[in-house]
This record gives sequence, structure tokens and C-alpha cells, in this order.
Amino acid sequence: MSLDEIAELRRRLAEAEDTIRAIRQGDVDALVVGQQGETQVFEIGGGTDAYHAFMEVMNVGAAAIDQSGRILYANANLTSALGLTQNSVQGSLISEVAPMEVAEAVDHLLVPPLLGPLSTQVDFKRDGETVHYILAATPFQLSTTPAVAITFTDVTDRVRAEATEQSERAARAVIASANEAVLVCDRDGIITHANAAAHALFNGDPLGMEFAQAVPLQLPNATGLMQAEDIVFMAIQGTAVQGVEAHAPNAPKVKDFLVSAAPLRIGNDAISGCVVTMVDLSQRKEAEKQQLLLMRELDHRVKNTLALVLSISSRTLHHEDTLEGFQKAFTGRIEALAATHNLLAENSWTNLKIDDVVQSELAPFTSGVAGRLVTRDLDRLMAPRAAIAFGLVVHELATNAAKYGALSVTGGRVSVQSVPQPDGEGRFVVEWRESGGPRVEPPVRKGFGHTVIARSLQYSPTGGAEIAFEPEGLVCRISLPIEDLHN
Amino acid sequence: MTETSSPKKLILYVAGQTPKSLAAIANLRKITEEHMAGQYEVEVIDLRQNPRLAKEHSIVAIPTLVRELPVPIRKIIGDLSDVEKVLVALKVQDE
Repeated sequence: MSLDEIAELRRRLAEAEDTIRAIRQGDVDALVVGQQGETQVFEIGGGTDAYHAFMEVMNVGAAAIDQSGRILYANANLTSALGLTQNSVQGSLISEVAPMEVAEAVDHLLVPPLLGPLSTQVDFKRDGETVHYILAATPFQLSTTPAVAITFTDVTDRVRAEATEQSERAARAVIASANEAVLVCDRDGIITHANAAAHALFNGDPLGMEFAQAVPLQLPNATGLMQAEDIVFMAIQGTAVQGVEAHAPNAPKVKDFLVSAAPLRIGNDAISGCVVTMVDLSQRKEAEKQQLLLMRELDHRVKNTLALVLSISSRTLHHEDTLEGFQKAFTGRIEALAATHNLLAENSWTNLKIDDVVQSELAPFTSGVAGRLVTRDLDRLMAPRAAIAFGLVVHELATNAAKYGALSVTGGRVSVQSVPQPDGEGRFVVEWRESGGPRVEPPVRKGFGHTVIARSLQYSPTGGAEIAFEPEGLVCRISLPIEDLHN
Repeated sequence: MTETSSPKKLILYVAGQTPKSLAAIANLRKITEEHMAGQYEVEVIDLRQNPRLAKEHSIVAIPTLVRELPVPIRKIIGDLSDVEKVLVALKVQDE
């Protein structure tokens, strides 16, 4: 044997050993076998066709990859799911062909030790749309190669349905939480949703009814052309209607509303209906009414007071001989009027207690000396009109008492009390009685004071006053108009 | 260096799309691109299509890479995932 032949034998031996070692180590997955002069290729662990065929019939996306992330096979479902062509993926790394999110998810699943089935959700964009897949990975042995089977299950519809349901739930919560009445109508103006505040507007269930039929509205500030159904119609046509004042005569509770309606667009779709909100205006309306009432009342009172002041002025002028006398008497009377006004203002122009008017008018004359003024049984209330007139009467009596009567001397006293009347008389009489003063003589002439006392309360058949000049002291019986008295 | 002028040829024997065949094709492409761009003429032979071609280089196990030129012929069995081993086998023992 030549040296060359020996070298050749050695080379072939080394090659054979190499081959055996490679087979033993699992470095190969197919063998060439010569059989009866014919050469055949046998794949270790069965042919790839079998598992390719198996993967093709799976109705989810499926891939076999080796542990480096190389795609050994990907079925048609998967290549279309990832938007790839079958030719391009076989033998490629998944990171080279799949969307980044998918590659990262697969990488994450391949982190050793890869023991059992693992799964994760992945979201990625396909044709501009976000799609959602569940990836599940299970290790398996593919002939001599450790491989991983990965399935891709499309859960896009489920995820979208969940998202839709959640946003619907959120929308419903928003409507339900609104303080204002919120109604949703479909394209035909039929109410499809109504929150709790809206339910309070009806005597029944508004759902399924036409808006205008469920909530008959009158629009006082709109022309006759505009009706409740027009608000909904305009919104459905795409024109928002804002802040129309409306009256709902049939509503069980609130009657006045500020109505707004806006077209309802879901996503970028066409208008699918409208949203109507109704804000309760009853408090505002009530406040407006009250304000109007107060302004009229104020106007009325100012006119009355001015007329009264004019009358006092001209009468005082008529009965006083000097300017000083006029000034004193006129000022006193205006002050008496002011004292009652003050009391009324403090009590928001409600009824006044008889006793309070007496005390207020007499305060300048008794100077707080105890015992000079005694009042009894004067707890009834009287209306402002009576209080003003009564205040003037008391002022005149007090002025007279201070000039000529009980209050002109120390030790003089005035008692004011209600006097019981026989049943059925329908009168309430307050008696002013002076005592401890100088002896009384009837006056020679009657001054304006007398007129004021006698006439002030005569605006009512049950009102008036009578003076008796009894020698021990002046007595005045004042009848208060029964209709202006309250308990 | 005379290497650039002398003909160089690599033949990779694979069997259809077995996992190791796929890996070997991809690995060889990567190695030639990154380490010996343009130096070798590369041929891939699918023995499933043409089993008789195995005779040419007495191929028994698949995948096998054969350096046909320059002589002497070298064989590397496996999926070529060990880059260093492949480079050593192709470059050292300069003929």
C-alpha cells in the first residue's frame, strides 16, 4: 500500500468518525442511504411534510421555531395574520419578518428555561388597524432539533367587544350621573335612553316614545313655527339647539326647563340620533317671579309713602301757625313714619307685633324710664299697612301726652292694652289710657293730630279711633282693622 | 495574497426544509456575507429533489457543507451554527 493510499484511508476514516460524531450529537436531521443501487434521503424523526400538513389544518396561526427564534415553518393562517408571504418567512428569524411587538413577545416566551405552555397577549398594527392576538408557546422536539410550537389566536373581536362594552358602560354612567335630565333619541326621534332625572319628568316610562309625545313642551319665547319636535328634528339633522326655554305643563314635578339638543355622533359615523338635556328652571323662574313681585310692591309702597308724606306735609302746614311749629310737627311725624319703616325693614316687611310698634314710637318720649309706659296683651301681629297707620296714631298720642298730658309731668303714666270685646263684634281695640298727668280739659279746636288719630285707620270698616278727654287723663280707643291682624 | 484570484466554491447539501437544513442555509448566508463577502461561489443542493447528487461528495449526513475549491476538499457536518468552527475549518490548514 502506498503512502498516498494510506493517507486517503486515514482521511476517509476521519470523515467517517466525523459523521458518526455529528449523528450522535444530533447535528444532522437527514441521512443519505444507498439501497440496492438507489440513493434515498431519510429524515430523522419523520418527514417535515407530515407536520407541515398538520399545521396547515389548524384553524389558528401556528409556527414552529427553533430556540434561536428561526422560523422552521409557519402556516398560512399565521403568514396572513402577520401580513407576510410564506416564501419569505421559512428559515428567517422571527425578528426579521414579524412586527416588532410580535417579535418581542416571542423573545419573551423563549427566555429559558422554557418548560411548559406559556402565553401572552400581543397587540400590533396591521393595515393601519390594531389587532390583538394571544400567543401560546410549547416546547417540543422536532427530529433532532429542540423546537417551540407557537400558536397565534386572534382575539381582536373579543377585545373590541370588551372595549365597546366598557365605553358603553362609561357613557351610561356619565348620563346617569348627570344632574340634568338627559334623553337620547334615535334617528326617528324615539327615546332610547333616559337617566334618573329624566325619568322624574314623566308619569310613565319614556323609553320607546317619541320625544315630543313623551314630553309635551310649550316654547313661550319661540315663534309658533318652533315646536318641541323641531328641537329633536334639528339636532338629528346636525344643528345643535341651545338653551330654549320651555314649559312642560304635564310634568309631574318640575315645569320650567332650559332645553338643549345636540346631534349624536358615535365615532366618525353619521349622526345616529340626538342628546337632549333639560335643565330645571323652576328655581330661577320662582326667583324671577319673586323679584318682579317685590319690585311692584316696592313701587306701590314708595308711591303710598310719598302720598302720605305729601298729605302730612300739607295738613301740618294747614294747622301750624309758625314755621318752627311746622318744622317740629312735620319732622316728628316723618320720624314716626321712619320708626315704623325701620321696624318693617328689620322684619323684611312681614307682620309686626303691636307691642313693638308702641314701644318704638314711644321710645323718644319715655326716655327709657321704667314704669312710665305699661303695655299688656299686645302680642298680635299686624300687616305693614296697619302698622304704618297705627304708628302715626301712637306718635300723635305720644306727642300730645308729652305736650299737655301724662308725659308732660314726672309721675305721669301711659298704659296701652287690648280691651276684650263682646263676642261677635269682630273688632280688636287697643286702649291708650293716661294717668297721673294734669287735669284734662277738652281742647278748643281740633288740630291735625286729632285728624290723624281719628282717620288713619279708617281705610277699613273695622278700623278707627275715638278720643275721650276724661279729667283724670286722656283715653283713646283704637280699633285695628280686623283683616290686617294675624295671630 | 493569491486567494482572491484562485477559484473558491462551497456546496451546501440539504434535505428539503428540515429544521437543520433551514438553519444551515441561513447560517451559511450570514457567514459568507459577514466574513467572506464575494470570495466564494455558493451552491445549495437539495438532496430530496436529487438524491443521486449525494454521490459526488459521498454525502451521508445532512446538512453538510463541502468546500470543493480550493483543494483539498473539506466537509463540515451540521447546521453551521458554530461560526468559529466553520471559519476555522474553511480558513486554516492553508493548502
